[in-house]
Amino acid sequence: MMQKLSENVLDKFSMDFLRNQVLKNAYGNDDTVIAVRDPRILLVWYLFFGLVPWFVNDLPFLLGCFLLVMVTTILAKVAGLVLLLFAVGVFSQTGYLLIATWIFGGDASAIAPLLVLTLKVATISLASVTVFSGLDPDRLSNGLMWFGCPERLSFSISYAYRMLPMLMEEFQNVLLSYRLRGNPPAHETVPGKIKYLIYQIKIIIHAFYPLMLNTAKRSRTTVEALEIKGYRYAAVNKEVRKMKLSSLKVTYDDLIFLAISFLWVAVTVLVSTLV
Amino acid sequence: MSITQKGAATQSQKLMIFVLSMSLYGLATLFTELIPSFQVGIVEFSVEFFLFIPLVLAMLFDPLSAALGAATGELVFSEIMLGQFGGLGELEKFITVTIGVYIAGRLVRNPKNRVMVGIAAFVGTGAQLLMGTIVDILKVQFAVTDFEAVAGLPESVFATEGFAFLNDLLLSGILFCLLPTLYLVPKLYGKIEPLLGMQPRTEETGLGEISVKNIIVCLVAFACAIGAEMMAESGLSLIDWEAGWAGSGTALAAGMIVAAVIAIALLFVMRKNAQPVSEAK
Repeated sequence: MMQKLSENVLDKFSMDFLRNQVLKNAYGNDDTVIAVRDPRILLVWYLFFGLVPWFVNDLPFLLGCFLLVMVTTILAKVAGLVLLLFAVGVFSQTGYLLIATWIFGGDASAIAPLLVLTLKVATISLASVTVFSGLDPDRLSNGLMWFGCPERLSFSISYAYRMLPMLMEEFQNVLLSYRLRGNPPAHETVPGKIKYLIYQIKIIIHAFYPLMLNTAKRSRTTVEALEIKGYRYAAVNKEVRKMKLSSLKVTYDDLIFLAISFLWVAVTVLVSTLV
Repeated sequence: MSITQKGAATQSQKLMIFVLSMSLYGLATLFTELIPSFQVGIVEFSVEFFLFIPLVLAMLFDPLSAALGAATGELVFSEIMLGQFGGLGELEKFITVTIGVYIAGRLVRNPKNRVMVGIAAFVGTGAQLLMGTIVDILKVQFAVTDFEAVAGLPESVFATEGFAFLNDLLLSGILFCLLPTLYLVPKLYGKIEPLLGMQPRTEETGLGEISVKNIIVCLVAFACAIGAEMMAESGLSLIDWEAGWAGSGTALAAGMIVAAVIAIALLFVMRKNAQPVSEAK
């Protein structure tokens, strides 16, 4: 009884937790230093920190870039889940090699190249975390549109952020109702455990049947609402684009942000030439 | 039902399919993104647990919209939203998923034909995985990944990559693509189409055979995918940044710092001057 209760609580916690984290990531931090920056400036900034570290093998420079994007990530107040995923991602790419070298008695010379690789990966991921999680989805999609990305991509981003929490809730409800009606096999023994796992996967696949029908209805409503507003013609109309993008304004704060980043990079370059 | 057309879907119906495929597959990949992928050296066990969703949709509706929707959904929901966006390297996955799902959707002319649905699901998954494997092998062949641990043993790369491919194909191809698709397609056929205001696909209204043009377009797209992945993986070899700085390094860096400091000071002054004006407004 007690075990079942804890199982249920754990299940609900994880789903709700996930939903809250996504919501928080999207709309919870509108007032941070990063979120109010002009999206175009941030995208240019990201282009630098997402590309340049790949081509540079200089340790002080990489370390400097890493420190800078770490500061911006802290400023952006990114949700915990995203940071956890970032950590797992970096670890699965290079971190495990680091530990493996340690275990097999590698010395410092073997660790240095791995450290460079890890720093590269971490810097690039953190830069993307800053830009793509720190920005408001609407501002992000506007910024992408300004750079000539297809309208459909910016629409997808705005749509995704709005619909995802609802979809998650619906999926959870469907899943729970299936569980409520189902009769899971006993899972004390090993074959029973395998049977239980298969049963769980089966339920998830079955749950997609009603979910697909519901989402079909919902996407029809969405598209019809978009059509009423003349979406398909507005998407390719230059006049509409101009009106949409008129909210973007580069302020002095944005330029200061760029200049400070530039200063920091310049300092790291100086340090790396002095070393 | 007078609005429903025979054959191809209208533009807005294509958008509906796009949105449907995007939200469903995006939601599903969000979960798989939370499961860390196994990686042994350069071999990555990339099981696509939920590829059956776009496969089903591509078989029932317009394949291209469903395929593009699925790839966009994966990109937006699981990469951009979670801040896992890997830049150029994501293009490879985008294109391979699109091609795989599109091929599967085009193969099925009559969703009632279970054998064909099964074959298409398997072929689509296989195509997607095969393209990923080819990209991985090429990466090592051109030595753009710097994992010295396996370097010098091309045979081992073929063996491990081939093993990963077979493993993925058997696991995700049969368990997570073939069986769910066989279960869902007949169940959804005739039920989900009216919700989007369409007629179910039949032998006559299908899009017809895959033409040579389709294959060529797929191959060109795949070449783009390889190029993007190479660009993303190649390190210093492409552009030698350090060489440029090494010469007049310190002086240049000092100049940059001075310029940055002046820029910051100027901007602060300008901002201070600008603020009263905006408040007066």
